[in-house]
Amino acid sequence: MKSIFSKMFILLAIFTIILAGCSSEKEGSSEATTPENGEPEAKSEVLEVAVFQGGYGDAFWKQLAANFEKANPGTKVNVTANPDIGNIIRPKIIAGTPPDVVYLNQTDPSGVTQGLIKEQGLTDLTDLFAGNAIDEDKPLALKILPGVLESVYMSPYGDGKIYMAPYNYNVMGLWYNKTLFDDKGIALPKTWDELLALNSVAKENDRALFTYQGTVPSYLEEILIPAVYSLGGQEALDQMLEYDPEFWKSETALTVLGIFEKIANEENALMNGTVALDHTQSQTSFMQGKAMFIPNGNWFEGEMAEAPREDGFEFGFLGVPTFNAKDPLLALNSVEQMYIPKDAKNPELAKEFLRFMYSEENIKLNGELTKASMAVVGASDIVAEYLSESSYNVFKAVESGMYSMSGNFAPVPAGVNVDPREVLFDQVASIMNKEMTVQEWADKMYEVYSKVEEKK
Amino acid sequence: MKNKKRAAFILFCILPTLLIFSIFIVYPVTQVFIKSMYSSSGFGNNEQFIGFANFIELFQDDIFLQSIKNTGFLMLVVPVITLFLSLVFASILSLGELREKHLYRTIFFFPSILSFVVIGILWAFIYHPNMGIVNEVLNWMGLEQFALTWLGSKDTVLWAIALVMVWQAVGYYMVMYLAGMDSIPKELYEAASLDGANAVQQFFKITVPMLWEIIRITIIFSINGVLNISFVLVIVMTGGGPNNSSQVALTYMYKQAFVNANFGYAMAIAVIVFSVSLLLSFISNKLTERETH
Repeated sequence: MKSIFSKMFILLAIFTIILAGCSSEKEGSSEATTPENGEPEAKSEVLEVAVFQGGYGDAFWKQLAANFEKANPGTKVNVTANPDIGNIIRPKIIAGTPPDVVYLNQTDPSGVTQGLIKEQGLTDLTDLFAGNAIDEDKPLALKILPGVLESVYMSPYGDGKIYMAPYNYNVMGLWYNKTLFDDKGIALPKTWDELLALNSVAKENDRALFTYQGTVPSYLEEILIPAVYSLGGQEALDQMLEYDPEFWKSETALTVLGIFEKIANEENALMNGTVALDHTQSQTSFMQGKAMFIPNGNWFEGEMAEAPREDGFEFGFLGVPTFNAKDPLLALNSVEQMYIPKDAKNPELAKEFLRFMYSEENIKLNGELTKASMAVVGASDIVAEYLSESSYNVFKAVESGMYSMSGNFAPVPAGVNVDPREVLFDQVASIMNKEMTVQEWADKMYEVYSKVEEKK
Repeated sequence: MKNKKRAAFILFCILPTLLIFSIFIVYPVTQVFIKSMYSSSGFGNNEQFIGFANFIELFQDDIFLQSIKNTGFLMLVVPVITLFLSLVFASILSLGELREKHLYRTIFFFPSILSFVVIGILWAFIYHPNMGIVNEVLNWMGLEQFALTWLGSKDTVLWAIALVMVWQAVGYYMVMYLAGMDSIPKELYEAASLDGANAVQQFFKITVPMLWEIIRITIIFSINGVLNISFVLVIVMTGGGPNNSSQVALTYMYKQAFVNANFGYAMAIAVIVFSVSLLLSFISNKLTERETH
């Protein structure tokens, strides 16, 4: 009996050691960095950088880290890149040992950025942007595209403090097949009426007028926000984006939502089956010539590089039509977000890293490796040679005549359990299936916005 | 003295399991109940105790009510069809004199070894409104009016998902029943057929009663399976759409916890799901209770 006891005991002991081994490893590595920080002018600092690895890959971050290490001898930069980076850093954030620099958008499905904004879990970056740029003798804020830092995307609490650092700049709107329009001599629509009138032309060319990313309806934001701006101006747009329920009682709201109802009700306007298709399926259908227009961003060509397409297909960027023929076409822009979590071990070094990123050399490097343009004044010229043709055309269109506007739904206050943006776009499926009227849609949004207003 | 020693020994033996069970099951589950009373984003700071407010809001949240309704529908429809078909197939394979028996057994079991994500993607293309095989076949047969957008209409989407779940699970339960049927003495069937009972009578009078204990367990397995599998299939195939018509309780919980960062609210959903599935298992256990001979 005794021998069994001792065997069991040894087994238990081994088990405990294994378990303990697993846990102490992590603690060991994070502890290793802290004592050295205590020394003044510590020469060996470690910076943890966590980046979302999406269409832009991770090559830029690896190279940037190497450059930063070279420029700041004694520092070490660890880059963690993953398409699912949000869920990887979540436990670290909860455990109080977050990465120092994070690149992850608010709209990421992991909800990590969204959660940190709600928690006020971010480091104030206002002083970073007030300070000078690394390679120019002027405040960094002046290097960033005008309007970006003041937007709710970068200053989420509307108190004038900047918590997010802008990274790549995207432009979104409607796309069409350039070859088709050129060959058939179809004029590009400038207003919504002109666009809807193209339905008969679309039918002649054996395709529907419009499709969208059915199971991911929030892509329609790229149309809706510019449309509201076109009809109601900045004032109406702010009402919608900052959750003023009265917006949904306005004529502007009903007219804009009416666009979707017209698409739903007119025969041949909506591609058959759109509601059930995910973004890849609907975008492929568009490229195969099943629909004339689809909303998407400047990353479109890169994203669909492998997809089948109809003969002669060429990406053409329309922008977003307006309600007044005299207005320039619109396009919605968005800026990718970076930030420093509040509990980061090395906030000062992290700020230095961000400052370093905005140097001209690194903007160029970013263009070369990600084929994208940072939200910095003149960046699209610096990186022009690296952009894909369609992407370059988008940026060029925005520079010549098209008006690129920004607009993002404000973060909802803590304690609100509905996501108004999500509810707004979820209803599109019911509109497209003709199960709901525009008035019902607006009433529903009024109700949801009222809930948000209560908690403000 | 000897008994005491024995008890100590048993205690000692179950200690590791008990420890693991407590750490990985008991502790998290209690946390779920505690967290459901807080307004929290899941990041640890700024947690605020709000009592039952999450639950009160839940029952006014029409998306939640819809998701519970959808889950209930799947829990009702899928196990019934699955288990019935499994039983029928199993008895045909076990009693019928089919030469391709082994082939069928393999084919039916095949979906069970596929990953749920693969199944979801596969069926999303089968149901594809413009190039999916379902609609292609219907169009070819001249039944264009029946070529619907299966995953895009609120009337068909749940049935479409239910069908996938049945397809996926039938083989699995069939193999379980087959194993059970092997242990039913052949003499019972011989005696019955001498008495003039036909195949259907034999099925209901011999096979089902003899398998009853296995059926009871598979009902509970199947109900819980629906809860889990529907999550993956909905995420992959519809994202909860159109307009939440295919939202199930777990996808809504996931969305609230990890997309909208309403962790406390999501835990309230988890508590409800936990209670409901516990209750359902209990009810089905009670309803199917029979005296064993």
